[in-house]
Amino acid sequence: MFAQQEGFGFLRIGTEDGLGMASNVAYSIYQDERGFMWVGTANGLQRFDGNRFINYGTSRAGTDELPMADLTQIIPGNAHELWLLFPTRNTVGLFNTQKLKFSHIPIHTTRSIPARSSMKLYKDSRGNIYLHMLKYGMLKYNPEKKAFTDDTEMKFPKGWISEHFFYEDTIKRQFWFPCADSGLAVYDMASKKMFTRRNNPLNIPLLNETVFNQGLSEIHIDKQRRYWIFNWANKHMRRCFDYSGKQLPDTVGINSNPQYEETRFFFETKNGVLWLYGNNSLYSFNKRLNRFIYYKSTFGNTLSIQYESVHQIIEDKESNIWLATDNGLYMTGEHSGPADISNYLFSEEKRGIEITDMIELGNGERWLSTWGGGVISLKKNLKSYTNKVYDHMPPMGEENRINYRQTWSLYQHTDGRVWIGCQAGKYMIYDTALKKTYFLEARELEKSTIRFITGDSKGNIWMSTQQGHIARYDGRKFTVTKKLGTIVRKILIDNEGLLWLATFDQGLYCLSADGARILRHYTSGSPDNSLFQTGGADIDQLNDSTLVFAAGAMSFINKKTGKVRWLTIEDGLPGNSVLRIRKDDKGNLWMITKNGLCRYNPNNNRVTVYGRKDGIMISNLTTEADLKCSDGSIMFGGANGFIFFHPSAFTNKVQPPDVAITDFKLLNAFIPVDSLLGLPEVRLQSYQNTFSIYFSALSYMQRDKLTYYYKMEGIDKDWIKADRITQVNYSHIQPGNYVFKTYCEDNDGNRSGNIVSLNIYIRPPFWRTGWFISILLTIIVLVAYGMHRLRLNKFIAVEKIRNRVSRDLHDDMGSTLSTINILSSMAKARLDDKLKIGEYLNKISDNSQRMMEAMDDIVWSIKPANDSMQKTVARMREFATNVLEAKNIEIEFRVTESVYDVKLDMEARKDFFLIFKEAVNNAAKYSKCTKASITIYEENKRLYLSVSDNGIGFNPDLADSGNGLGNIRKRADALHGNLQIISGQEEGTTVKLIIPVS
Amino acid sequence: MSRLLSLKFRFFTFISITMLAYVHGYNLNNNYLSPFSMVDEPLTFTTFFEYLTANGLLRFRIPLLFLISGYLFAYNDHRSYGATIRKRFKTLVIPYLLWSALALLFTFLLQQIPFTAEIVAGSRIDQLGNNRPYIEIGWAGVLSRWIMAPIDYPLWFILALFVYNLLYPFIRWVLARAPFAWLLFTFLLWLILIQFWIIDGSGLFFFSLGIWLQKKNYNPEKKPSWMSVGVSFILFIGICTIKTFMAFELDSELFLSRLLVAILFKIAVLCGLLSIWFGSDEVVKWAMSKKWFHQLSGYAFFIFAAHVPLLPYTMHFAMKYFSFLPYYRLTLYLVVPGLIVLFCILSGSLLKRYLPKFYLLLTGGRGF
Repeated sequence: MFAQQEGFGFLRIGTEDGLGMASNVAYSIYQDERGFMWVGTANGLQRFDGNRFINYGTSRAGTDELPMADLTQIIPGNAHELWLLFPTRNTVGLFNTQKLKFSHIPIHTTRSIPARSSMKLYKDSRGNIYLHMLKYGMLKYNPEKKAFTDDTEMKFPKGWISEHFFYEDTIKRQFWFPCADSGLAVYDMASKKMFTRRNNPLNIPLLNETVFNQGLSEIHIDKQRRYWIFNWANKHMRRCFDYSGKQLPDTVGINSNPQYEETRFFFETKNGVLWLYGNNSLYSFNKRLNRFIYYKSTFGNTLSIQYESVHQIIEDKESNIWLATDNGLYMTGEHSGPADISNYLFSEEKRGIEITDMIELGNGERWLSTWGGGVISLKKNLKSYTNKVYDHMPPMGEENRINYRQTWSLYQHTDGRVWIGCQAGKYMIYDTALKKTYFLEARELEKSTIRFITGDSKGNIWMSTQQGHIARYDGRKFTVTKKLGTIVRKILIDNEGLLWLATFDQGLYCLSADGARILRHYTSGSPDNSLFQTGGADIDQLNDSTLVFAAGAMSFINKKTGKVRWLTIEDGLPGNSVLRIRKDDKGNLWMITKNGLCRYNPNNNRVTVYGRKDGIMISNLTTEADLKCSDGSIMFGGANGFIFFHPSAFTNKVQPPDVAITDFKLLNAFIPVDSLLGLPEVRLQSYQNTFSIYFSALSYMQRDKLTYYYKMEGIDKDWIKADRITQVNYSHIQPGNYVFKTYCEDNDGNRSGNIVSLNIYIRPPFWRTGWFISILLTIIVLVAYGMHRLRLNKFIAVEKIRNRVSRDLHDDMGSTLSTINILSSMAKARLDDKLKIGEYLNKISDNSQRMMEAMDDIVWSIKPANDSMQKTVARMREFATNVLEAKNIEIEFRVTESVYDVKLDMEARKDFFLIFKEAVNNAAKYSKCTKASITIYEENKRLYLSVSDNGIGFNPDLADSGNGLGNIRKRADALHGNLQIISGQEEGTTVKLIIPVS
Repeated sequence: MSRLLSLKFRFFTFISITMLAYVHGYNLNNNYLSPFSMVDEPLTFTTFFEYLTANGLLRFRIPLLFLISGYLFAYNDHRSYGATIRKRFKTLVIPYLLWSALALLFTFLLQQIPFTAEIVAGSRIDQLGNNRPYIEIGWAGVLSRWIMAPIDYPLWFILALFVYNLLYPFIRWVLARAPFAWLLFTFLLWLILIQFWIIDGSGLFFFSLGIWLQKKNYNPEKKPSWMSVGVSFILFIGICTIKTFMAFELDSELFLSRLLVAILFKIAVLCGLLSIWFGSDEVVKWAMSKKWFHQLSGYAFFIFAAHVPLLPYTMHFAMKYFSFLPYYRLTLYLVVPGLIVLFCILSGSLLKRYLPKFYLLLTGGRGF
């Protein structure tokens, strides 16, 4: 009556999905150690993280260009390196995923390469890379020469060419080559020799076999040590042998396809499922059926795969099977096969079958009521069989016969009899012991269709009808306890015995246990505790106090408080259109919505949606009926099919993988994340403070069932729940250190093992850096210290002046006044000696005159008005004129202009003047000269003073240095100057002073 | 030599060596700090303080020690070369070999117990970068560590000093003939950190400068008229701070950043040297007038030789088992080196009292 579709279901990923796939023509696929899927497409290299494809079609300047062409093979190289083959560009190269550098690897052949020679790469178990060129042979990658060369140690006998791909037997350490018409050749790594049927010292039986020696094309050895050997005779022959050469009958299903196909490649899963594929060819070995299942390219069927060529099959870390085809990527897995989850579609040739209700009988059989199709029976293994419900149908009118096949509801009473609600108030009771059906009608229901049948703990049967009858059958008669005037879709008798009625358009009723009184009534129009919508489809009891009612969104009704709470799209529900509800043994609610199947976990309030890649293919069809079986399995049925699964099939048995940082977008430009992750931290300039971080747990099975949490340390105090969003944007972040952290949780609350982190440092602008502020502070402190020193120096200078004035007063005034005092006392004592008095008065006069002069010098030197050299020179000229003219000495006074620019401080000026004064005084007093010459000039930052006379001169060596000469030497030293006194008897005297000046 | 100068030499020798414990006791991620070291960890008060101290403020001490050594060596060069080298062999080479052997033995013993072996391996102080147990390294490796690359790594100073002593006649000769050329040459060696086999380029300038100053009869107590202690001190503190911030904030991948930091490091050392030497007379007089300080300063060499590898092992242990303390990194940096110095003084005094001959041998006759 119906047929189940066998084999795997496929989830397609293509350009239309908006994930960024560059081309639907996918040639190659490879999962790296971190879990990223690298995909070779017709438009080059891409990486897939489960959420988006990232294009690697461009390359950095200065390196070989990464072609955006047919990338037919991706093979892992050393760390962060991929071998890429672009046969249409005759290019093989190594791509460094961290540095984004592509290096073209040259091919050095000793012979010319034949035309149409296709290429294929192979990596052996020792890491050697081979390049196989059709009609040419094999080349090996030479790491020293960084090129593919002919120098492989595998030498074939003359005339033997391995035109097709070889197989490495890692157990026996042998390479098997299918050499077209020559036969099989085996290279033995232990002996480093090539064996053929002509040279077979190891007596390998298959080498001697000749049945496939015409057009030998493929060889594969599977885990069971079966040798799959294909050749082209008049057609493509596929054979299977054991090691002894005995042909095995395991090829059932792969030689019967009438259309043209090329089965070229083999893939064996970790569980030992063998896949064969190629052009128009895709097979998997079904262990249950012990034969190969052929996957015909089919358009439009949700379970099928559409392809012309399957280019590569791989298995990822989660045991998903990935197929690279010319129509996109396909993903499948054993979980999408019939083992755990079943999608049953009734045969398409038959007319549509509408399932209306399902029950499990005590013997484990599942019965399905259908509208028009009667009752369908399935054995425990879900295989259908023809039941005896209608075997002994009594004679009746055609309409009645039809009504009894329009079944709506099923209920098995505790006495074993099955009650079947039908159209027009009719019902059947099937006695499972006698295998006899009673065809009945409840007159009390006024020919209204029986929509639902259930039973209470007292053994009563309860029915609801299309017109709203609520009827109780107590074993003797029907009693209509209520008539609501609307379709009552379901009656739920709760743990207290109350009746809860899900109606088509009058909301939810709660009736007393006898069905007579309405205790509560919930509608969407209630001011308080209203439903999401009035019409409801299903109801179930979540726990002692909570009911769940499918009325658009899910409504949770607290029986004790009467409060209603909704679960809607905002809470993760795939749609506000819940049609079926079924609670599993763990308390989770399984729901069918118009947008598919989902599960609600009341413990963490999390909704998980299940779709095609989970093996749920037809949930949109199964909106009418549900069933929880005694083993915990759940069925949902509806239009032309049903789904069957055990909830444990969706329980994650593995810990979610760590979250990977998949991309980093800085100011609208994507930064190669592999290279970023190689750094201890991402260092950004101050203006690079707007960026996005993309992350994803590289689990392709769970990818939309994981909840992500992230936290940016430095901004966020707590973890932020990202739900399914795998991108977070940060704008105008302040400079500083940040750590982005993320982890994920599956729907069962299992956390990924590690928190993944990314250190980010945003540099402050230079004026906000510590070093710049430190420079400013240092300068400020230096300036402050300098000002302090200046102030201090002024104090010191004033102190010095005060000290000097006091010293000068003491030295000059004090001693002279003392002398005057003594002379005065002596004069008073000798008043009678006029001569002495006169002498004393003369001395007093001289002393007071000297004192006046000294006082004049002190005052003159302190007075700021005399700070200039003009004043100093004027005073010197005045002094010289007064002194020398008084002695009738001719005077010559010469001063150059530059002298007036010289700056001397007060002390120096005074010393300079006094040296001059002493020199002039000496010339006037002692030299007896007639002419004196005074010269002052400045040259090379030196001030020169020369006082010369034409007097009697003296011998400087004999002169007493205790007098004035000693003083002027001291003053010259104080000026850091050089004093020269040049004199000789009758040769005149010259006093020269040279002092440094600024 | 005046009494104050003599006291000053003794004071700074002791202080420089005591501060060595704080230079070697940092617990930053980077376990070997050089003038151009950048910091690869977040800027916190702890990291800033440790980097500022260990790779800034205290870095004038080795130049100062070389300067003092050069001055004293030139002051006492009236002995014959042979006699001098014999004496230096006793005071430098024998302690060098003894302490290097003791450190090796100590480390070897720790490597025999799994708990302490993990501490030794985790401390990562082997100068040759191979922190495996000595049993695995073999005799050749142990020998090379004893002679050339002691696990007691501060001993490089002793070796460098001995080599300078061997070269002394040449240095004096060249200083007599071309002092400025030689000083400029050695200054450049110090700037660019070049080492010619066992001739360490980093100390040659200061050692030569010490000799030159002594031979020129320059009075080290006399402050040059052009120099301002205040300005030098401000520059010393300021540049150390600037350099420390730069080490955190500049791009560590850029050569220019490292060059800038290294140049500032050198300027800071020079400023520190001048300001500390000329600005600490009052502190020297006060400290050296205290009997206890005078006595402590006698253990300078013992502290110098004994604090490593004790300090890094203790620090590693403390970092592992005291991480529950608030601000444990800073606390341990401040406490552990001090405790190690105290331990060295205590053990040195016990050794001096009960095994004086051995102490004499270990210290090359110093401290009596």
